[in-house]
Amino acid sequence: MESPPLSRRSLLQAIGAVIATAATPLGWEDVAQAMDDADAHAGQLAGPGKLSFLTSAEAADIEAVAAQIIPTDDTPGAREAGVIDFIDRALATFYSQLGSDYRAQLTAFQAACRELHPGALSFAALTSDQQIEFLTRVDDTPFFNTTRLLTLLGMFALPSYGGNRDGTGWKLLGFEDTHVFHPPFGYYDRDYPGFAADATKTR
Amino acid sequence: MSPQTYRDSDTVDFIVVGSGAAGGVIARELAQAGLTVVVMEQGPRFSPRTFRHDELKDWYLGGITNDAVRNPQTFRSDAAQKAELQKFKPALWYGRGVGGSSLHYTANFWRFHEIDFVERSVLGAIPGTGFADWPITYADLEPYYTKVEWEIGVSGLAGASPFDPPRTKPYPMPPLPVKSSGVLFERGARKLGWHPVPAPMAINSQPYRGRPACVHCGFCHGFGCEVRAKASSLTTVLPEAEATGRCEVRPESYVFRIETNKDGRATGVTYFDGERRERFQRSRGVVVCANGAETPRLLLMSANTQFPHGLANSSGLVGKYLMFNYSSRALGLFEHELNEYKSVQVTRILHDFYDSDPRRGHYGGGGLDARIGPQPTTWAIRTATEGPSWGSAFKARLKEFPRSMQVACHGTSLAVESNNVTLDPDLKDAWGLPAIRVTYKDHVDDLANARFLQDRGAEILEAAGALRVTKSPVSEQSSSMHLLGTCRMGHDPATSVIDKDHRSHDVRNLFLCDGSSLVTSGRGQPTMTIQALAFRAGEHIAQFAKRGEI
Repeated sequence: MESPPLSRRSLLQAIGAVIATAATPLGWEDVAQAMDDADAHAGQLAGPGKLSFLTSAEAADIEAVAAQIIPTDDTPGAREAGVIDFIDRALATFYSQLGSDYRAQLTAFQAACRELHPGALSFAALTSDQQIEFLTRVDDTPFFNTTRLLTLLGMFALPSYGGNRDGTGWKLLGFEDTHVFHPPFGYYDRDYPGFAADATKTR
Repeated sequence: MSPQTYRDSDTVDFIVVGSGAAGGVIARELAQAGLTVVVMEQGPRFSPRTFRHDELKDWYLGGITNDAVRNPQTFRSDAAQKAELQKFKPALWYGRGVGGSSLHYTANFWRFHEIDFVERSVLGAIPGTGFADWPITYADLEPYYTKVEWEIGVSGLAGASPFDPPRTKPYPMPPLPVKSSGVLFERGARKLGWHPVPAPMAINSQPYRGRPACVHCGFCHGFGCEVRAKASSLTTVLPEAEATGRCEVRPESYVFRIETNKDGRATGVTYFDGERRERFQRSRGVVVCANGAETPRLLLMSANTQFPHGLANSSGLVGKYLMFNYSSRALGLFEHELNEYKSVQVTRILHDFYDSDPRRGHYGGGGLDARIGPQPTTWAIRTATEGPSWGSAFKARLKEFPRSMQVACHGTSLAVESNNVTLDPDLKDAWGLPAIRVTYKDHVDDLANARFLQDRGAEILEAAGALRVTKSPVSEQSSSMHLLGTCRMGHDPATSVIDKDHRSHDVRNLFLCDGSSLVTSGRGQPTMTIQALAFRAGEHIAQFAKRGEI
């Protein structure tokens, strides 16, 4: 199977597929309403570890893919960030129209995995090395591109959307979720002597 | 809601279509001159308090902008192709809400230079393009640039740049505090003998005109400012217009036709209200400030038996000469943290390469600035397109976020007639109106200029001591937030849509003012010039109205 490197185009196409099918046909006001509803019914909609749209088997495979996109090593990865909770919630609410297409893509992914590993129970049940080897073959498919987009959104978007649990994604980047900052902002502006207008006078 | 409201049956002096950078200014100028005004805005009126640091909403779900589903657009790179539906984002992206694109812009506020207005005379014709002089000069606009700086509020350092055009007053506020990207940019550029200067930004470095100073939260680009430190029409000129008691800002009012009578005069506008009821507001004059995409679309949708090719379109140029500006970039990774996600996007710029230079072998020039660009989510998505896209190597790249910056290189776009906005023959928006079809292909000189500027950006990063410098590919653009040139101004009705006072050549009481008015693209950062034009247009239109000349 060919596995061409990810192109900008293919990523944008994946994003396009997400948006087009999921698509906010309603716009943000309605999304906001959906979010409010989701918050209001937090007890009814699944909390962390509970699922609203995906089956537990589907969630296990998607989470395993997400955990290879941003793996857990000496720092937390997609798994610890609760990306799967974001993805499930997205498919249940603001990306609900994505659901059926995405599920079909997942089924194809699972079928391809079974073909290569007939003895394995699921993608999630493979060893990490086997998972990586398999993903290298399929990392330009619609399923993988969509999963990566959802993983990145779930890793770094506001925790109120269900992922980025405890700011895990932000901590990975070194992004400080604080509303007000004061200079100096970084290493290089600490001892800045001030703008020397003289240096610019000569044309 | 505005304190003053009008009924559809009232004949107001002016309808202003669009509440953004230009519409807000013109509404204020007309209302303060004693005229009655209704501002029609297709989007909602947000309270600044509701603006959030929410990347998913504002970048991926059309939170405060047009979106790809309700406001779909098609794109093609030349007229021989079938235009494709843009599923991710509209090709022409703009703020949709009271304040328009001044809600989500970055607020870089450079003045155009003297050369921008007379470049065609200085450099000569460029075959295959509509390269032309403006009907006004920098000197005509200078008082209004000053007015923008003082009325809207711009932070900056006058006299810092040896390339700046003449000015009559300093900036009202000092520059914002420098960021690490600015320090590195300054260090690198000076080593090369260039002239980095503090960036002029329409963001308060100190409290100004009732709005607080910036708190450096970092969410300017693509977001509304909940602090109100970033100037927007929502928080500056529109409240001032409403305070006159003569201006109603009417949100969720989507104008889709300008009506005319047998004398060829505009009589008012037909629009959908929030409940999608079709309504007609009567007025003595109409000013369209709906942006470089929606202004030509509205004129084209207003075609009738008297104006079969669209209103104000005897030249055939409505929608033509669309210009995006080209923004190329060089990325730099440094040893220590910059934390560019904090504070405003840009604190240092340079204009050493602003003027076109025939020795480069192509037309074009530009300005460079130091910034990071996206916040976390978009950083991650962008990083996946520029190297390892999953796994440990990708994760390592993501962690470079606080040690990274870019030099953004803002360049010219030539006016090319085949780059344009037309009505899609098939696609409709959520209201059943013809969708925008965009045809656009960067001129070969625009691409050459983008690469030239990007090389200079990379040199700055190298000179500043970057551990790694990469250049993002320069390829043809298929989308933009800079929507320029589509109803250009000029003296000759055969080669322009509006005159030097923004009056349409064909309809005496119809005026157009926004990015569509620009004759040349400048070097990125068009909003400052759009607002200067709007202050000038507003003043002149009010004078015409008072003298009975509309």
